[in-house]
Amino acid sequence: MKVKPLSDPAQQLLARLMRLLRWRLWIQEKLQFTEWQVTLLWAALAGFLGALAAMLFTVLAEGIHELLTGYSAGVVETMRSLPWWARILVPATGGLLAGLTLLFGKHITRGQSSTDYMEAIGIGSGHLPLRATVVKSTAALFSIGSGGSIGREGPMVQLAATLASLIGRWRQFSPPQLRLLVACGAAAGIASAYNAPIAGSFFVAEIILGTIAMESLGPLAVSAVVAALTVRLMTNAQQLYHVPAFQLNSAWEMGPYIVLGFVAGVVAPWFLRSLRIAEKWFVDSSMPLLARLILGGIIVGDIAVFVPEVCGNGYSVVVSILNGQVAVHALILIFAAKWLATASSFGSGAPGGVFTPTLFMGASVGYLFGAAVHALWPQGAVAPEAFALVGMGAFLSAATYAPVMAVIMLFEMTLSYDIILPLMLCSVLAYYTAKGLEGQSLYSEALKRKAAEVPVDALTAGHVRDLMKPKPPEVPPTARFAEIAKMFLTVRVNNLYVVDTEGRFLGVVALHDIKPYLGDADLTALVIASDIMREDFPKVGPEQTLSEALGSFLGVTAERLPVVDPADDRLLGSLAKGDLLLALVEKRKKLMPA
Amino acid sequence: MELLPTDLIAQPDVVLIDVPADSRPSVLRALHAALSAVPGVNDPARFLKDLQERARVASVCIAADVALPHARTVAVDRLVLGVARLAEPGVGFDAEHPAVRLVFMIGTPKLQVEGYLKLVSALSRLLRKEGVRAGLLAAKTEAEFRAVLGSGVAA
Repeated sequence: MKVKPLSDPAQQLLARLMRLLRWRLWIQEKLQFTEWQVTLLWAALAGFLGALAAMLFTVLAEGIHELLTGYSAGVVETMRSLPWWARILVPATGGLLAGLTLLFGKHITRGQSSTDYMEAIGIGSGHLPLRATVVKSTAALFSIGSGGSIGREGPMVQLAATLASLIGRWRQFSPPQLRLLVACGAAAGIASAYNAPIAGSFFVAEIILGTIAMESLGPLAVSAVVAALTVRLMTNAQQLYHVPAFQLNSAWEMGPYIVLGFVAGVVAPWFLRSLRIAEKWFVDSSMPLLARLILGGIIVGDIAVFVPEVCGNGYSVVVSILNGQVAVHALILIFAAKWLATASSFGSGAPGGVFTPTLFMGASVGYLFGAAVHALWPQGAVAPEAFALVGMGAFLSAATYAPVMAVIMLFEMTLSYDIILPLMLCSVLAYYTAKGLEGQSLYSEALKRKAAEVPVDALTAGHVRDLMKPKPPEVPPTARFAEIAKMFLTVRVNNLYVVDTEGRFLGVVALHDIKPYLGDADLTALVIASDIMREDFPKVGPEQTLSEALGSFLGVTAERLPVVDPADDRLLGSLAKGDLLLALVEKRKKLMPA
Repeated sequence: MELLPTDLIAQPDVVLIDVPADSRPSVLRALHAALSAVPGVNDPARFLKDLQERARVASVCIAADVALPHARTVAVDRLVLGVARLAEPGVGFDAEHPAVRLVFMIGTPKLQVEGYLKLVSALSRLLRKEGVRAGLLAAKTEAEFRAVLGSGVAA
């Protein structure tokens, strides 16, 4: 029996429209991204922009370096070429320019706080001020370009994280989502700086977020991979440190490696303590910031007159150490001088990072220890360079309290797998030794200090109202089938909330329910929202705890739940499952003892 | 075991032929009275109230001469369907549907959204099949009427 075609032109048009809607909805549903997939897309964008920012910073730092010295070679090579007075003048000028930038930058930032990315992710709202970041990064360009004993990775990460924060604020992300996106930006910054996407992800996950839960690690990994890929495509970058193929020559070597783990675990806290002492000395001196930065530059310059290797972040010296190109007695001098120079740069307030200088310290400690063992017992340390590599990982682990990240980063930066066994053992031993000796890592003190200024309740979302998004898509109970279908096309949700004229929540219309009937023209006129709404759909109250809200998500395949006032059933907003899971992960981390 | 929506259309709970009603409320009352007696309707008064309320809120007609008064209600335990053919010239359900002849009254349990949509969709498809509506209007007895529904669903 044939189906009689519709004769009324208006009905034919409506039927055609509904068929079209059906196809569009089908395509939309098949291609529609879940909230997590959308998060991954934004993470990828944050990674791409973070890589661009990092590359731009590198180019500018090299440009400033050339402008100040007239040389385009590496910092150490340039310093070796300069006369003694220029070795003092250049870092001092860098300090002066950095200080002036910060001084005049105050007018541009107009009271914006200089929130750093760790604070924004760990204890803040994810809001990173653009102007303050630009001013601080510009100042860092002068510190780094003039040969300050400081790393460039800090400003690179800050810039990448700020761009991610801008994206998140533009898209009006919830605080947990914004914090995660800023974390993605930071991971992208690390991945770009060290060409190490896995370590970039773990750096943020382990040190800042304190969790490797997939809810956060997934976006971090995507962002870091996109960043590393972008850098590799645009600069032909390879692994950061080219090293010979190291191997464990005999099981006897594990003994000295174990001792190296303890040594790194002892020296790393001393190193960190010395940085804090230097910082305190400069602050207590009551000198204005400008004078402190100039003095810091002069100290570094004075040291560079005799040991030019102290300038810069130490990268080129580390490469030489790993390739056995530095004599032991020379390295002892460089090690001591670099320690002092880094303390001066850091203590004076020179903007920059100490991550790469930390790697230098580890490589030096490792090599010197390996060389000493080799001198006494050649079979116990066949290649002192291998000890330098393991020492880098162990020192990094002890300084950052992030042994997993340290092992991964060393592996990624050198692509030397053969050394993985002593590296893992040493990093873990160094971590436990350092933690036993010192209660704070390279990053924990500043975070703890700032966290103490923020009320505990403000750090974490505790109730549904903290995560609720207002104005969810809604329809009246009399909305026609055609209106409902059109609404599903305009907003990316799977459930429309049905509310009466008083704003009371009545139920939801599920896309899943109506999808098979979108081609049915008769239904468009007959069916209204109240005919097909599900009144048994779970809802949450604004004062419910996050754990209770999580319970409401169980047994229902919904990305969002309506937030309803229990007193009068008024629809207040919606709660996204993604936000809830992120907030619970954050909360669990903050409740854990340090 | 509960019937599938198509089976329910082929074997409605109630069929009334040439009901002498003169208004929408009287049609609803007559068909509701017959349907109230079938198993599955646990609260006839509530069922009628919900049917009337739904008809008041928005049109229940899908064609000039076909109406589907329906309610998702706690008053029924399963999908129930009653069909009535009204005596000529039909009854006005609203301004746009002044001469309704075929009335399909549906009661759906609150939780059966899918069942309701399946039933309504199947009914609308059935009534668009060539000859079904004419057959229903021409049927002389309840048995003939049911036969047209059955063959229409099977076709």
